[in-house]
Amino acid sequence: MLVLTRRAGEKVVIGNEIVVEVLSIGGEGVRLGIVAPRETSVHRYEVFSEIQESNRAAATDEINQSSIENIAARLRKQQK
Amino acid sequence: MSKFNSDETVLHFEEGIVGFPAMRQAALVRLPDYEPFWWLASLTDPHTKFLVVDPREIFTDYEPALPAEIAARLDLQSAEKPLIFSTVKISSDWTNTTINLRAPLFVNAATKRGAQAILSGTNFRHDERLPESVLSEEKGGE
Repeated sequence: MLVLTRRAGEKVVIGNEIVVEVLSIGGEGVRLGIVAPRETSVHRYEVFSEIQESNRAAATDEINQSSIENIAARLRKQQK
Repeated sequence: MSKFNSDETVLHFEEGIVGFPAMRQAALVRLPDYEPFWWLASLTDPHTKFLVVDPREIFTDYEPALPAEIAARLDLQSAEKPLIFSTVKISSDWTNTTINLRAPLFVNAATKRGAQAILSGTNFRHDERLPESVLSEEKGGE
């Protein structure tokens, strides 16, 4: 991991286009300003991590046939 | 409606999906026996696949806002409606099955490019349970 010391008002650039600025430093935390290309997603890590876990739990090699069958049948019945 | 005409369509996820950055190409496979579900199977890792569904088939009023970065990434003009899929976590007790409404997959049907969004500022859950109407309905006899 690259570790840098920055003061309020100072910036870091990631790649050619992503700029992270330390806006202010307070007792509770650090406020960051992020400028990134419009197709870049920026998320708090906890949120990203939660979705990552959720995807990993959903990724499956196997199919629980009876569960899917059951749900699919109920959904189709509902749509009629 | 999230319908492609063929039974199998290759989708391109330029940035992979969250937690699976290498999953750049995936086959969306229709499951005629399990309509309205589909497989989304990685073409880079044969062991990675997801059960997906157009969440609006289950949650009829689900209408996630398309994040600007996803629209930009998929080159979607404002008039174009993307297809939407949610991953499904099937449980051996089917009533514990959950659907990820927080991080839908948006797909540009014309270019077959897709991206997984993480919605912010919403109450959509990544582990939404099946609606009561589905849970409570008597199993259809056939």
